[in-house]
Amino acid sequence: MFLFITIMFFIFRLMPGNPIGLILEQYNLTPEAAQRLIHLWGLDKPVWQQYLIYIKNLLKGDMGISYVYNAPVSSVIFSRKLLNTLALLISAHGMALLIGMILGVWAAWRRGTPIDIGTLVTALVLYTIPVFWLGLMLLMMFAVHVHWFPLSGTITPARSYKDILQYIGDYLWHLTLPMISITLIRLGGDFLIMRNTMINVVREDYITTAIAKGLPEKIVVWKHAARNALLPIVTMAGLDMAFVVSGAVLTETVFGWDGIGKLTYEAAINRDYPVLQGLFFILVVVVLLANFLTDLMYAYLDPRVRY
Amino acid sequence: MSGDVSRPGLRKGGIIEKTKEFWRVYSRIRVGKIGLVLLLIYVVMAVFAPWIAPYNPRAILVGKHFEPPSWKHPLGTDEMGRDILSEVIYGARTSLLVGILAALLTMVIGTAIGIASGYIGGITDDLLMRLTDLFLVIPGLPFIIVLSVILGASIWNIILVIALIAWPGTARLVRSETLSLKERMFVHASRVAGASDFYIMVHHILPNVLPIVSATMVLNVTRAIILEAGLSFLGLGDPTAISWGTMLYFADKEGAMLSPNPYYIIAPGVALMGIGLAFVFISYALDEVVNPKLRQRR
Repeated sequence: MFLFITIMFFIFRLMPGNPIGLILEQYNLTPEAAQRLIHLWGLDKPVWQQYLIYIKNLLKGDMGISYVYNAPVSSVIFSRKLLNTLALLISAHGMALLIGMILGVWAAWRRGTPIDIGTLVTALVLYTIPVFWLGLMLLMMFAVHVHWFPLSGTITPARSYKDILQYIGDYLWHLTLPMISITLIRLGGDFLIMRNTMINVVREDYITTAIAKGLPEKIVVWKHAARNALLPIVTMAGLDMAFVVSGAVLTETVFGWDGIGKLTYEAAINRDYPVLQGLFFILVVVVLLANFLTDLMYAYLDPRVRY
Repeated sequence: MSGDVSRPGLRKGGIIEKTKEFWRVYSRIRVGKIGLVLLLIYVVMAVFAPWIAPYNPRAILVGKHFEPPSWKHPLGTDEMGRDILSEVIYGARTSLLVGILAALLTMVIGTAIGIASGYIGGITDDLLMRLTDLFLVIPGLPFIIVLSVILGASIWNIILVIALIAWPGTARLVRSETLSLKERMFVHASRVAGASDFYIMVHHILPNVLPIVSATMVLNVTRAIILEAGLSFLGLGDPTAISWGTMLYFADKEGAMLSPNPYYIIAPGVALMGIGLAFVFISYALDEVVNPKLRQRR
């Protein structure tokens, strides 16, 4: 973890293009004002000193000041942007997991039938579609040709709301398309994993026993087989966090969804190192946390695993 | 994964015999054949692009702006009046180049680190695996975005950067294979006969991990192609190369969505999807060839 922070710090210092230069162009600052800014951000000190200051501040929970937003990094990241991203990712991944699991169990139980083959091919196709292209297609179909959904943003700009419900409605309306694109993309992978494990589980002796006992098919499928096929998909969901973030960057850019992914992209373009450092720090913490939670879930789902 | 099952990849017979055996198993898998045919179409497109493409993909104003499809321009034209079909055909070059080279580089790094880690063991193993874990938690695309901003946009940098974040998976796989291989009789025999560690790693371990690595490599190609497209879609691709991602970037930016030619958006995406499918099908078939256990399952 510590090593990671250090590497990130020096990588960002290596970025060409002076952040001050970009800001100077934007705001036409006088040289004196620029000097003051450089001093304020500590950019006149040698790199190793900047590094020590950074680590000291980070331990205190202070991640520095954004060059672009001119606000503390923590308030740039822990804002509506984070909530927007969480809303998008949690809803989309929840949907994908749920639908993928149900379809996977269902297809595996009917293995070899045309329905199974059909879903399998659809899943493979979904698996290879680039997420941003799916987003563009959805926008073209549902926002340009028929005006069912908005083109971009998280809420309608400059609209006043009668009550909170109307606000939530508007938000969900904006959320629909980006959520559907992430859901569809993830669905392929989730389905494939679930189907594969189910096919192995179905062949176990205890399933044969359950059927022989004369239990109804529904109970055998959902209580006996599906429960035991959950492990791999849970593991994948946890370990895939690093990929999830990549999808968020592209989807949020396509839909103008004001979240962390779009912030990452913009910070990289604008050379806003403090924000980038903060983002990578948070992202890695999230990934590690997800891995930890996966382990916990694993122990819960498989009683043989105990730490 | 291990055990003493003999794999088609194990050394026996000459190269020709092995290839024949490999093809005998592979050609029985229908998906695998579809994948190969698809891939062949893309390879032909990439290699013979100047002869197939009806126009020079960079020549502007061969038609009007955003012209809808016609006999002259089957996929219409873009915002600068370039022929989209020609651009799509040339785009296969960039995608295949980036995909294959990045996957090869991933394989080289991953295999080298995996074998070294698994065979040498001890502190080397600890250090290398710590490094692997470190790279595993780095969020891929954001890291690639940052690195390509630092290094500058060129095809070679994109290849390098993709390989740099993709190798840990391969390294893990190779390490676990190596761990089981190094306890096998032929490795012990070779050591007793006085072979050096380096000789054993190169001549005994490497040929035996290659079949499994090559199956994952095919999936890495798909991943690299999609990553390159994503990066280019963000406007961070090589501006001198014709790439499907870059096409989509301009299509989105220049408002192709509202234009009379929606194929500007549809075509590059379908091209990307097709090449992805080709590699996924091939990797599925390879998996069955390499893991005999999977084959029996059908």
